[in-house]
Amino acid sequence: MGTRLLGILALVAIVGASAFGLFVVKADLNQGDAQRIMYVHVASAWLAYLSFGVTALAGLAYLVRRDLRFDAVAVSGAELGVMFTAFAIWGGMMWGRPVWGVFWSWGDPRLTTTALLLALGIGYLLLRRLIDDPARRATRAAVAGLIAAVDIPIVHFSVEWWRGLHQGPTIGSPDKILNPSAPGMFVAALMFQLLAFSLAWGWLMLRRYQLARLEWLIEEEGRLGGISAAQRAARSGEVAT
Amino acid sequence: MTDLGFIIAGYGVILGGLALYAMALMRRLRAARSEADRIRRAVGADPLE
Amino acid sequence: MSALAAAARIALIVAGKDATAELRGRQATASTAFFAALVLLLFGFALGPDPTRLAEAGPGLLWLAIVFGGLLTIGRLHQLEADDGALEQLALYPVDRRALYAGKALAGATAMLVLGGLLLPVVALLYGIDLASAWLPLSVILLLGAVGFAAIGTCYAALTVRMRSRELLLPLLMLPAVAPLLLAAVKATTAALAGDPLAELGSWLGLLVAFDLAMLVVGTAGYGFLLEE
Repeated sequence: MGTRLLGILALVAIVGASAFGLFVVKADLNQGDAQRIMYVHVASAWLAYLSFGVTALAGLAYLVRRDLRFDAVAVSGAELGVMFTAFAIWGGMMWGRPVWGVFWSWGDPRLTTTALLLALGIGYLLLRRLIDDPARRATRAAVAGLIAAVDIPIVHFSVEWWRGLHQGPTIGSPDKILNPSAPGMFVAALMFQLLAFSLAWGWLMLRRYQLARLEWLIEEEGRLGGISAAQRAARSGEVAT
Repeated sequence: MTDLGFIIAGYGVILGGLALYAMALMRRLRAARSEADRIRRAVGADPLE
Repeated sequence: MSALAAAARIALIVAGKDATAELRGRQATASTAFFAALVLLLFGFALGPDPTRLAEAGPGLLWLAIVFGGLLTIGRLHQLEADDGALEQLALYPVDRRALYAGKALAGATAMLVLGGLLLPVVALLYGIDLASAWLPLSVILLLGAVGFAAIGTCYAALTVRMRSRELLLPLLMLPAVAPLLLAAVKATTAALAGDPLAELGSWLGLLVAFDLAMLVVGTAGYGFLLEE
């Protein structure tokens, strides 16, 4: 099946990209081998933003169309988003300690923005967990997602200005591998890992979406005692295995 | 390799976390599928339809 | 009467209703202000007794107290209706949802403004800060902060109405979301008190305005969706 193939491809890609980043690419002149952490850190961060972006858009789509399938996409994005955000923060910390000497720096806009992103994401998941009615849950989560989606760019700008006034660590910034003058190998390693993570993201989203749809089916059955929705869905084969 | 501990911690948690999440997800999916199958069987046997 | 005028009238009626309820339940408003003042007092114990340190931390502590008090205020404004089931009644009226939102946000902003105003002399006293010299920029910052907090708070309050663990969930959702508001307000306050040596006051005020506008827009839209349930 297509999904399984995607999963295998993702696994191979991650192993390959990690091996490349860890053993093939040279260490950075200034940051040393710690630079290698950037590849998984940046990849995690990008996918975190992608995930939450999907959640916000899917939530909006639900509010407009009232189709619970959009909500299934939204919850999938949120769960993956929280995971990747946690990875990004962890990666940032593991990079920060050897390079900056500290695990945490208030002067780094990305770290602080990501921390808030994590908080918003966890809040979103918690909100969902406390509502039982699927339609109400989908609506409220979608609104919460919209607020967060509008909030994050503002957070980003505010923290950037904040950093501008207080000189952050200058030894090296995570941005280094993103600017045009970075060595080709570094960029290649980053792109490779980003591709690998994206494949994994795709597979995870598909599986998580399937799970969400199945859980809705099970929920409906529990609420309605096996009639109507569960019947219709099962009969029409809507919820595929 | 310099800073080996941090590299191991960094890659280990992230890649390991991915793997753990993926495995947990498959486990949840399997459980949900068998539950859904149970529902389908029960629904299929419903004489009211 | 044009649609806009009608909507405005409804907003004012709703706001007036809430304000009256607040005044009647004066106790709740006073208690919240007292709570916030206590927070300021406790900060003094936590960070004192060095007056320099307290004075430096003053703006931050002020806005933290406003945020904590604000959480109680916003929650209460919506709880009044949720308890009576009046929120559902409100949703049944064939009025423009946006007017309802505007009314509630206006009430919230007013309450926050009052709260902030009451805390200013407490901060001046406890942390030895001269606020009078910067009263104009401070008033503007307070106004912008109050509007922003109420804009986002009103929407979140409606979002968590009739939910389990509501008292926990509202702060949990709001605190990360108002972080940029907190940052901008504190930075602006600090700059205003120092006479704006780096000419940054404008930027931070701009950020506050951007936050307020963004939250008013998304809050209005979201409120509409929420009441449709």
